[in-house]
Amino acid sequence: MVRDLIIESTALTKAYGPHIALDSLDIKIEQGATGLLGPNGAGKSTFLKTILGLIQLTSGEGKVLGFDIRSQGDQIRQRIGYMPEYDALNPGMDAIHQVRYSGELIGMNPNIALQRAHQALEYVGLGEQRYRQVSTFSTGMKQATKLACALIHDPALIIADEPSNGLDAQSREFMLNTLETTVNQGQRSVLMASHLMDDVERVCENIVLLHKGKLAAQGKIEDLKAIDKEIEIHVWGSANKMEEALKDKGMKVRREGRVMRIGHTGDETYNSILQTAVEVGTQVRRMHDHEASLEDLFLVIMERLGHDVKSSEDLMRGT
Amino acid sequence: MSEDTPFEPVESKEESFGAETPVTGQTKMQAAWSGSDDEKSSAQVAQSQQGQIFEQIYQPWTGTLNPRWMRNWAILRHHILGIFKTGHRPWNIPTKLFIFFVIIASMTDVAMALLFGMIGEPTLYDIWGVNRDNLYGHVMGFFPRNILYYPIVAALLVGGMISEDRAHGTSALYFSRPINRFDYASMKFLAVGLILFFIINGTLAVYYFVDILVMGKGWAWIIDTFPMFLSAFICGIILSFTYTSIGLALSSISRGRFFPAIGLVAILMGTRAMASIIDALFDKSVLYVISPYDAVAHVCQALIGTEMTYDHPWVWSLISVVVINGLALYLLASRVSSLEVTRE
Repeated sequence: MVRDLIIESTALTKAYGPHIALDSLDIKIEQGATGLLGPNGAGKSTFLKTILGLIQLTSGEGKVLGFDIRSQGDQIRQRIGYMPEYDALNPGMDAIHQVRYSGELIGMNPNIALQRAHQALEYVGLGEQRYRQVSTFSTGMKQATKLACALIHDPALIIADEPSNGLDAQSREFMLNTLETTVNQGQRSVLMASHLMDDVERVCENIVLLHKGKLAAQGKIEDLKAIDKEIEIHVWGSANKMEEALKDKGMKVRREGRVMRIGHTGDETYNSILQTAVEVGTQVRRMHDHEASLEDLFLVIMERLGHDVKSSEDLMRGT
Repeated sequence: MSEDTPFEPVESKEESFGAETPVTGQTKMQAAWSGSDDEKSSAQVAQSQQGQIFEQIYQPWTGTLNPRWMRNWAILRHHILGIFKTGHRPWNIPTKLFIFFVIIASMTDVAMALLFGMIGEPTLYDIWGVNRDNLYGHVMGFFPRNILYYPIVAALLVGGMISEDRAHGTSALYFSRPINRFDYASMKFLAVGLILFFIINGTLAVYYFVDILVMGKGWAWIIDTFPMFLSAFICGIILSFTYTSIGLALSSISRGRFFPAIGLVAILMGTRAMASIIDALFDKSVLYVISPYDAVAHVCQALIGTEMTYDHPWVWSLISVVVINGLALYLLASRVSSLEVTRE
């Protein structure tokens, strides 16, 4: 299913003097939840500022929700809800008025903003605490308040910068559930920048991976995982011989005792493994596909870079 | 029951009811005190509520958003209304109390003029009533107004105005919305400036109009004094503007509320102290051009037409006022443009 693009850029470049923060990015982000990944200094923050229309591009083009990031920053920011990574709340205010004020800054009528602030805080699980001062809040409650500030005007796109940063297991679960609900039930898009691969994998269908200002990979997580697909087998007897035989046939094998993971190169790999087992007289007691985690995928991509790799197709070709 | 012992010996209970006791469904009280008919009795044990108590439902909103002026009005309102009511910018209690005190204290001339005017004491009324010197004094008088009242109010107001946005990261709240840097800085400026304006010019207006109404001044007197009042009013605006621009510039380079506040008072008092020492030692008043208060005071003396207390030409002070404000606004603009959205 082809969905509308919420963010698209062509040769988007931003340089600070000689330092190139974003290097000719061609990015296409569909509606839904997308994870923005990359190590420190990869250009994630610069990319976020760019799509918020806050910084002038050095060259290239970009559109967010159909608006030009060069000239229509105000229209973009009216339709985006931004949840910053760090504290962005006045500790002396209570949550309800903090969220209402953030709505007024978008341009909402004060009374409507107040009414909507009640709904937003209820939605993020702070209905009972909405009249408490932010300074008395836990980290999780502050994160939830920031999310309510971002959601108050029902934006088409929510940018969540490290939404589960510093949260305990229960709060993290709730935050991720809330983002999932926003995407699935609210039909809103989420762009989630995070270092926590599990969180991104949990919420997002797509990822954009930046590395040193360049686009390292983009696409559906499921598609990208195919580049690191392995078949896991549990063998009994002659494991050494089996390993050697598989390697002799040019297969990529990782072994831990009786468990081996063999690189998946196509449907014929299954037959080759079984054929090899027959040849060396090894029992294959269990065989199944091993699904890589997003973290595995991240490491593989980083390993293969090749920072010029720009699409999942390129990565799947193993270039 | 034996004759030696009047009571049956109590059988020792082997059971204990500590934390390690297995849960049997009995309440502790029941287990400890019930008799042999335990099996027949039943305890009233509270049942925990099962099920969903929080249902998360995404509620869309399809309203329309107001234009830029309404967003700016929200910033202005947020800062000014915080003085009077909750739900807006949280000004601390000492600041609110001091503003209240200064408003009352700034109207001592009103009270004195009224008192002596109404009891019919012309000599004392002439001292306190509206005239050229008193209008100048209401705005630019050094003691107590421009040493204890207005600079301190300005310091309390500008203290955390921008610096706290930097410290708390609330600048992201503004700049991730369709608020540009100019709107942000100008609304903050206007908020501080308007509060100072209300205190200085508001009380000046009360002073002037109460004198007209209560003392029954005629048109001739009004025509005679109104230009002076207008000049004093303009002086109040220049003074509010200057204190605000210096204070906000200091606030924009800081992350706390103490430095900008103490910095503003130090600049105002320090430059004046230095200039007065030079004046006393070398009989040269020209160094007063570096003192924001004195530069404004000199310009105001020229505007209102009171006796000049400085030897150098007032135009130099006017240039000084322009330069001081220009530098302060440049610093404010450059620092506000560096406020970050993603991280500081």
